[in-house]
Amino acid sequence: MLELRNVSKRFSGIPAVDHVSFSARPGEVTGYLGPNGSGKSTTMKMITGLIEMSDGHIFFEGKPIQDNLIAYKRRMGYVPEEPYLYTHLSATEYLTMVAQLRDLPARQSSARIDDLLRMFSLHDDRHASISGYSKGMRQKVLLIAALMHNPQLILLDEPFSGLDVASSLVLRSLIQELASRGKVVLFSSHELDTVERICSRVVILHHGKLVADDSIQRLRSLMELPTLEKIFSQLAVEQDTDSIARQIADLIHA
Amino acid sequence: MPDIPASMERLIQRLPLDFRVLYRQFLLRVIDFEALSIQADVVGFLGQFAGVLFMLSLVHSVVAYLGYAFTPAPDARLAFCLHMEHYLIATMMLVIGLITVVSWDATFPDRRDVMVLSPLPVTPRTILAAKVTASAAVLGLAILTLNAASGIILPLLVGAQPGPALGFFQSLPAWWFTLIAASAFLYCSVLTVQGMTALLLPRRIFLRLSAILQLAAFGLFLGVYFVQPSITDPAAMADPANRWILASSPSYWFFALFNQLNGTLPAQFSWIATRAWIALATAVFGAAASLLLCYIHTMKKTVEQPDLVPGARALPWTLHLGNSLQTAIALFSIRSLTRSRQHRVAFAFYLAFVFALALSLLREDLASTARIPVPMDLIVPTILMMFFAIGGLRNVCSLPISLTANWVLRTTQLRPSEDYVAATRRTLLLLAAAPAWLLSLALAYRFTPFRSVAEHLVVLALIGLILVELGLIGFYKIPFTCSYLPGKANVQLLFWGFVIVLVAVLLPFAEFEKSALGNSSKFSFLLSVLAATEWALWMINRQRARAAIIYFEEIPDEPITTLKLSA
Repeated sequence: MLELRNVSKRFSGIPAVDHVSFSARPGEVTGYLGPNGSGKSTTMKMITGLIEMSDGHIFFEGKPIQDNLIAYKRRMGYVPEEPYLYTHLSATEYLTMVAQLRDLPARQSSARIDDLLRMFSLHDDRHASISGYSKGMRQKVLLIAALMHNPQLILLDEPFSGLDVASSLVLRSLIQELASRGKVVLFSSHELDTVERICSRVVILHHGKLVADDSIQRLRSLMELPTLEKIFSQLAVEQDTDSIARQIADLIHA
Repeated sequence: MPDIPASMERLIQRLPLDFRVLYRQFLLRVIDFEALSIQADVVGFLGQFAGVLFMLSLVHSVVAYLGYAFTPAPDARLAFCLHMEHYLIATMMLVIGLITVVSWDATFPDRRDVMVLSPLPVTPRTILAAKVTASAAVLGLAILTLNAASGIILPLLVGAQPGPALGFFQSLPAWWFTLIAASAFLYCSVLTVQGMTALLLPRRIFLRLSAILQLAAFGLFLGVYFVQPSITDPAAMADPANRWILASSPSYWFFALFNQLNGTLPAQFSWIATRAWIALATAVFGAAASLLLCYIHTMKKTVEQPDLVPGARALPWTLHLGNSLQTAIALFSIRSLTRSRQHRVAFAFYLAFVFALALSLLREDLASTARIPVPMDLIVPTILMMFFAIGGLRNVCSLPISLTANWVLRTTQLRPSEDYVAATRRTLLLLAAAPAWLLSLALAYRFTPFRSVAEHLVVLALIGLILVELGLIGFYKIPFTCSYLPGKANVQLLFWGFVIVLVAVLLPFAEFEKSALGNSSKFSFLLSVLAATEWALWMINRQRARAAIIYFEEIPDEPITTLKLSA
């Protein structure tokens, strides 16, 4: 289980994440939601160890991650929000490098990379430079890199970004399949329909603070709202979206 | 930023807005801002480069003045002036050549320009004008700073010689015209070659060939500068054996052009000056034509090229360069060096400089038909080669590639920091020390006796190991993954520091080594000292690496040290 206790992050004294506590359990897909700038990606980066917390603790399987960060990283797979890759490498070269950095057995990882590239429809372009890849292809490379070592904790920050319909459907099923095999999956996305379909629980963040942490079913009945979109709008959207859209159209028209 | 004079400001305001915006953007592209640390002092960095060029100009002026002052005979003074003229023209052509190589194809529209600017209402003519003006501004600044002092002193000395009708007032414009003409020739020649290859070849092949052409130009400029002999004495110039050098070397064409404009060129050498005029006209015309054609054809070609270009097939086996971490970092470094233009050029700068320097020092020894005893000319250049190769790679490793992508190395940092330092050590050994040693081996084949050559190569290997350990002190980063702070190192101080160390350490060391070659007891002592030094440095680095934290962001030193008493 992944557990955050009173986790905060301040940049120059300004809180980006403010005393956030929640947990993500094995066998569940936990949705992590929030508007832009709510602190989702900052939390993800703290969970991955990319940035340090200002306060609080993160536990994985009952142990603080800082106690043995290396052992923790071995068991974690991470897909970042933006597809930042070494674009001068080919997909094979990049994934082989990640496998070597993770100290995976060479022969086994080579075969696994080859198979995963084939399954993600990247095999034909595996020797081409990533600089020529579309956003969706880059996203697939990130997914393979995050999953190829069979991690116990899977952190997905906007994993559907740029994927085509078929790949999105595959990924949706894959996330559910991985959770059903006992993995801890923390999934951050703006696509509320997808979150509603695949997540058992959601955590909603607003202005760096936790505003909801429950199962979608329970939130629906508690708030007496039919969809996650309505719940999210009530908890985390302060603006009248229709009115803003009208104002933008008026501004362009003027 | 200095204030722009009001008249200049008014003139700038008259230029079209789109031109001004593009010009500023293209000018800023001289530096890869994406690679810089957030806290980088860019202005200081640019100031340092301008300072280096200005310092060179001052050094040239002092050398020219002192050389002239300490040469009393009129004939000798004239010969000295002629030598300095050629030297300064050749040096300036080298600097301009290096700038042209570093800003390779900056004048042509790249894919980013086409994709960003094509949907906007900006004409290709405006893009072309902005690019050419930005390049001209950079070159103009280089010409000005490099000749700020020597561009006055030399015309003064030349003007004092018998010959020019108006003395200094004729020499000064002639000198500056020659400098600008020589720079324009070089810059336009490169543009012509690039433009024509871009027009004639398919885009994909052109892009690959362009990288090779860039390195070839680099080697050519440095090679010519270091290898070509100085032929400025009229008697030597008249020697038929030297005719081919005068006929083929652009620095001599512009040397003759200056003397023609100054009224000091003997009639029998006017053919050399004529070459300068023809070459300048051809290069300017060729550059103008290829630029115009490129902006008409290449922009279209760039848009039409496929997004995904098939890559070469991978090797059927996995290359092992140590354990998996060492292999990953070494292969990543090799690929970054070979595929990133910026890194390739930066490393080639060190290697080409060293190779050219070694060739120029060893020129006579290598040309000799008989096998000759190991001279200082072998010991000094090979040690210098090792120094520059390792120092160069270490510096290039500090330049990041795709800084935003380094998260993958941070999230996969599964081993103790000493393993990462060991992987960086392996990379420096494989990519710098080993090639420099092999090159030295190739250069050493002319020398005898075999024992001395072998002993020197053993010493060189140990020096390589020591230099690698020195390079690793405080270098707790994975090559090409950490942001950098330009301006952190004081280039001027480093330059003078290097010169002082060279004189103080290298020359006496080389003398001692020469005496130790073939002398068993002395050689054993030398070997023991070097091995002990290497071992001590290795131990220190290993010990310090255990407690080190691998960093990915260069942070400047705090100007104030806090005692953290409030915590």
